[in-house]
Amino acid sequence: MERDTSFVNINVLFFAKSRELAKTSRAEFTVKSVLIARNLLNQLIDRFNLNTISNNLILAHNENYIENLDTEINLQKGDEIAVIPPISGG
Amino acid sequence: MDHIQLLNDKIDINLIHQLLIDQSCGACSVFLGTTRDNFEGKNVISLEYEAYENMALKEMGKICTDLRVRWPSLKHIVIYHRLGIVPVSEVSVVIAASAPHRVAALESVNFAIDQLKSRVPIWKKEVYEKDLIGEWKANVECPWPHKLVQIRVDDSELNRRVKCFLKRKRDEINLYNIHDFKQLSTNTELADSSESEVKYSCARTQSSLVKQQQSKSHLKVRREIDNSGPHVRPNYSSQLNKLTTAQHYKNDSFENSMLRNSRLRNIEEYMCVTSDGDNILNRIKNIENKILLLESISPEYKYFIQFGTDLKRNNHRKTKKEIYMSDRLNEFISNLKREFGR
Repeated sequence: MERDTSFVNINVLFFAKSRELAKTSRAEFTVKSVLIARNLLNQLIDRFNLNTISNNLILAHNENYIENLDTEINLQKGDEIAVIPPISGG
Repeated sequence: MDHIQLLNDKIDINLIHQLLIDQSCGACSVFLGTTRDNFEGKNVISLEYEAYENMALKEMGKICTDLRVRWPSLKHIVIYHRLGIVPVSEVSVVIAASAPHRVAALESVNFAIDQLKSRVPIWKKEVYEKDLIGEWKANVECPWPHKLVQIRVDDSELNRRVKCFLKRKRDEINLYNIHDFKQLSTNTELADSSESEVKYSCARTQSSLVKQQQSKSHLKVRREIDNSGPHVRPNYSSQLNKLTTAQHYKNDSFENSMLRNSRLRNIEEYMCVTSDGDNILNRIKNIENKILLLESISPEYKYFIQFGTDLKRNNHRKTKKEIYMSDRLNEFISNLKREFGR
């Protein structure tokens, strides 16, 4: 089975502390279309200066939490990935 | 109806109440989360809320769906969260529910606020008097990051908590046991019965119970499904088989039982009798039948296999009736021929 190693352009959203560190609330990012979620997170941490909170983040893909960072995710052009620090609503 | 909103303005409690009113509801439970002026001794100047709006609304919708599954009697649900700067002692979140009776209303609101704090992507930043940079808070209920939790309570409280946990687990196991034990009958007969019949079942007797009319608590036994007990006829042959085969050899090792079977198998092989499964009695019967068959088709067989002592004992009785062997007969005939031939 041929593995699709093409790259896609996705939108990344930053909130709370991650927004302050990345100095933006929104950015475009190019990444492989199929990869492990943790890999994507590490790339974002490196690229957007999120090292100080790297252990506290999770991701959301198209408004759904990625429960297990060790699973593979399939990204398409224009998908929305959100960097989510620990929440404090309510 | 579900009312979900993220808003930047002051929350109007009266408006919320209007959303909850319904003729069928006797209870309305409202939780208001208000901003505090202190945290761990530090004075809070202002609080600011930020949200991943689309996803927050989606998650709040999921909470409503969850509430309706767990408390089906709920009528209206309101989840409002204020965003932006919220001055101290003003309302930042409202969770409210209306229902015919108060238990559903109270419990669902309690559940919902815990859920909101653990999964809705909203963040709060507190700015303190002495530290103007501010700090992003994290809820205790938030499941990430996955940290170890240190429980700082005294021994008696710790013991109490452990006891409560054990009790809860015990009750849970009991519930599952009862659930597994009960077998709700899928009889088509029950389908014909009236609508007022409630399908209850008692775990001990597996009977189906019916609510007695005009009574809130009395139940009538309609049908009993009883698989054991004196009225059930046991399978005698299988019981007997178990007694004759297993009883004496219960304490023996596996090897011994193998040995016993192999001796029987040897006999069966020698006699050219096919082994008839596990039933020892049947197998012995088959062997006996084979012996009888062999005796019937060749009468000398009986005398050939008799032991020496038996022959001696039978000799006095058998002298009157003599049995001749075929070769002896041959000899006799040839002797006669020779005599007559001469």
